[in-house]
Amino acid sequence: MSIVQELGAQLRSTSDELPTGLVTTAMERLRAATELLNWVRQESVDPIGVPMLGNATEHAERAAAALRVAQDAIAAYLGTLGLTADADRGPSRDWRAALDEHKPAQSSDEVAPPPPPGADRPRPEQLAPWWQQRVSELTGEPPARPEEVAARNPSTAELLRRVAADVRSGDRARLGQDLHHVDAATGLGLSAVTPSVLHRLAGDLLGHEPRPDDVARLRTAVSGRVRSLLPGTSPATLDTLLSRICRAPARAEQPAHPADNAVTSSVLTGVLLARLGRDPATLDPSAPEPLPHHRPISD
Amino acid sequence: MASVAELRAAVDAALQQVTEGQAAIQAAREKLGEAQQSLAAALDGSANESVTAAHASLSHADQQLEEGLGATMMAIEQAQTYTATL
Repeated sequence: MSIVQELGAQLRSTSDELPTGLVTTAMERLRAATELLNWVRQESVDPIGVPMLGNATEHAERAAAALRVAQDAIAAYLGTLGLTADADRGPSRDWRAALDEHKPAQSSDEVAPPPPPGADRPRPEQLAPWWQQRVSELTGEPPARPEEVAARNPSTAELLRRVAADVRSGDRARLGQDLHHVDAATGLGLSAVTPSVLHRLAGDLLGHEPRPDDVARLRTAVSGRVRSLLPGTSPATLDTLLSRICRAPARAEQPAHPADNAVTSSVLTGVLLARLGRDPATLDPSAPEPLPHHRPISD
Repeated sequence: MASVAELRAAVDAALQQVTEGQAAIQAAREKLGEAQQSLAAALDGSANESVTAAHASLSHADQQLEEGLGATMMAIEQAQTYTATL
């Protein structure tokens, strides 16, 4: 290997190891937190930290953009050296980073983040009845008994795979059970782990990066199945999720119940997977990257 | 109408997400620092425009993450002040 080739390999490695997955995970966690606090805020005039979280999310978005610029600059430099840049490396592989159960806040090649000082774990289980009640309203299925919740309680990533399997089989009763058999923190975690997955799956289905003018096309492709599995979800909730996927401005309405977004986003994940003909196991970050979808949905 | 216990628990659940976000930001900053060192060592002495741009972007990313972390700390403080008044 020549000195130039060695330098190129080192630069590619540095570029590949930039923490884009961690920044994406941070953004998703902050958005999920904002959603919850926004719901609380409906009951109060206190800002409860919502504007500050909005600032934090914007900073994380700018950091993510700066990392992409740095990757492009490194690729351009490799080009000037006469080396193949990574411009053709394909879509980001970080889309499943938040589903990594062994390393929950990182992508597969990143170091475990240390817990921040003073970060005591809160007591989200107090929200259990609140979660169960809303899941019942959304799915039409009766709540589970508390001992059943304690007995099962899978991780959020496992819950998402179960929901996707239920969607694939069209089993609404089992979907209701699976959503009931988790505590509120696990269920609400669906809001944090699904955005990147939804963006990627929608892009695979469309055959290109989701754009604002794709909202209607995606709605046509998924709304019927989402409604049949979640008769209690509002069209506005689905539209908000589709707008986020397509980076389109969402209509400013009263914030939805946080469980609505969590549950609907998980079912939407299952519907997109089913449309792509993919198994729920492909959501596992250790599974191979899925092959491109060759029949994008038409207008 | 939500009960005080539900509001408090919802804020707690949100703070759990913020805490996980903070941990991801801190880990990202560590990785970023390593990348900056690696790039500086490999490209020491280069005046290439792209190299300058890469250095500047990484510094900008780190600064944004630092400011984002600061904002999350203030958000936590505000949320905790709110729950203390419930």
